Amino acid sequence: MNNRRISLRGRTLRVSQGYLFVFPWIIGFLLFFVYPLVQSIHLSFSKITSIKGFKMEWVGAANYIKAFVWDINFVPMFISVVKSTLVNTPIIIVFSLFIAILLNKKIKFRAFFREIFFLPVVLGSGFIMQELIDMGVQQQVIDLSKIILLPQQVLQYLGSNFSAIIQNYLNLITLLLWKSGVQILLFLSGLQSISKSLYEAARCDSATEWEMFWKITLPMISPIILLNVVYTLVDSFTDINNPIVTYLVNVSIKQFNLEYGAAMGWIYFIFIFIMIILMFILSKLFIHSSYER
Amino acid sequence: MKGKRGVFMRKLKELKREGSSYKLSYFFIKIKRIKYWSNFIYRLGIYILLFGLGLVFIFPFLYMIVTSLKSPDDLIDITVRWIPKTIYWSNYLVASGALKYFTYLKNSIFVTVLCVIGHNISCSYIAYGYSRFKFKGRDFLFMFVLLSIIIPPEVLVTPLYIQYSKFRWINTYLPLIVPSFLGFGLRGGLYIFIFRQFFLGLPKDLENAALIDGCGCIQTFWRIIFPVAKAPILVSSVLSMIWHWNDSFEATLYLTSSKKWFLPTMLPKMYDTLKSLQPDDMMAAIFYNEGVIMAGTFLTVLPLLLAYLFLQRQFMEGIERSGLVE
Repeated sequence: MNNRRISLRGRTLRVSQGYLFVFPWIIGFLLFFVYPLVQSIHLSFSKITSIKGFKMEWVGAANYIKAFVWDINFVPMFISVVKSTLVNTPIIIVFSLFIAILLNKKIKFRAFFREIFFLPVVLGSGFIMQELIDMGVQQQVIDLSKIILLPQQVLQYLGSNFSAIIQNYLNLITLLLWKSGVQILLFLSGLQSISKSLYEAARCDSATEWEMFWKITLPMISPIILLNVVYTLVDSFTDINNPIVTYLVNVSIKQFNLEYGAAMGWIYFIFIFIMIILMFILSKLFIHSSYER
Repeated sequence: MKGKRGVFMRKLKELKREGSSYKLSYFFIKIKRIKYWSNFIYRLGIYILLFGLGLVFIFPFLYMIVTSLKSPDDLIDITVRWIPKTIYWSNYLVASGALKYFTYLKNSIFVTVLCVIGHNISCSYIAYGYSRFKFKGRDFLFMFVLLSIIIPPEVLVTPLYIQYSKFRWINTYLPLIVPSFLGFGLRGGLYIFIFRQFFLGLPKDLENAALIDGCGCIQTFWRIIFPVAKAPILVSSVLSMIWHWNDSFEATLYLTSSKKWFLPTMLPKMYDTLKSLQPDDMMAAIFYNEGVIMAGTFLTVLPLLLAYLFLQRQFMEGIERSGLVE
């Protein structure tokens, strides 16, 4: 009896301490998350009647209908963003995994290379990189890589149509490579957490590097692939240079059409949420888990 | 490779059966040579790939520096591509003058440092609560931490703006600083996640010892756990520093007077002022050209770059050690 009481007291103490630590977050949660969230939902279903004091009038789903039916810009833009994300995410994941595997080999100047591959993230996750791209930096990278990879004769032989396609792809890949610094780092740390003994055992059974990649590296790294996919999705959706985001900010702040901006923001968010939930469901099928948390 | 190996093993067995030691040793030398050369080519391939990819990654950076050192003559000259004929420093003078570099540098450093400190203190504290204590609704609340990473800030911008204007926070640094001290702000949830992963992997013996010695739980955290968490602190400070420094979205939104702006937000303004300086003058080419723009851009990222170079080794090790990916 006595024993039980002590343990009970201990537990309640522990509980209150937990709230003590989370308390600042809860304040922030209420101030900077719940309140604006509720306000934003409310705003998206209503119309501002007077800007002073923000008096609102309930109009139902009118703003949402406006986004899908009346606005000629929103739906095509939305589809193009979705398309480009669906193309870009696999490219980023494959390339960053490839680079991480290269970096994980026993090579000289490893630290130096690691530093270089993270450099574009430092240079600008937003505006500065955009400025550099506007100046035509990426075109020069492609020119440089064309000298090495594809001489002019080859391009002429292939014809202008095909070379334009290649040019486009090189363009895209360079742009995406600059965005994949964080993903490379995450993959690299994931690769280092795989125990060396697995590879040794495989080598004893005369497995090749190729087989080891498919049978050991990929299954062991699959949780990080999920992490990276989610990160890439979130990063590309919240990027300031994303056309939808610029349109949204433009409508809600420059044109002061707050309620319509909120509605579009919600459509956008629901879409992202569905994508991420889908990713988690898909990952349940493929991800190898060596132990349960 | 597998097939080859099988053939080799069979040959080796045959040779052993024959018992000819001369042939055996010759065979081994041959294998060694093949192995050496195939290994050499393999390594060479890796280095070539890494250098090629590294070039793509370092390219914008090199381009920026080289262009910023070009004189107007060099910029027009097509033959000058990578090595300017003369190193032309006055691009930097023009750019720093037009940026009002040191006033805005002070603003930028002030807010970035405060936000980084805020994120580290608050996120580690909150993450400790989420990782060590079992309380009602913990997992439910943690789901919202993850949701706060996922939700694009643009969705919440409008109501937040209204709210800040009610608080009379518009045109002060408070909308940027206060959320970061409460575990929100720019990707605050991500840092909570990083710290939580680290604390989950940390053995409990340390704090149990402190608790037995009569240390309260908050004191235990600040005195024992926080100093141990060097790896996640480094990771989250570097990431938070980079993102805060480069963020121009919140600044242009909440800071209405341009006196309080930061360096990255000032860059486009700098272009405009330089452009309007002497619109149809011969001198305009000196004040507004690619070289000056690149010099301005380089000056903007320079403090960040220095800080990163200073911290990068510990940062990389920190990412590998913080148990971010398990």
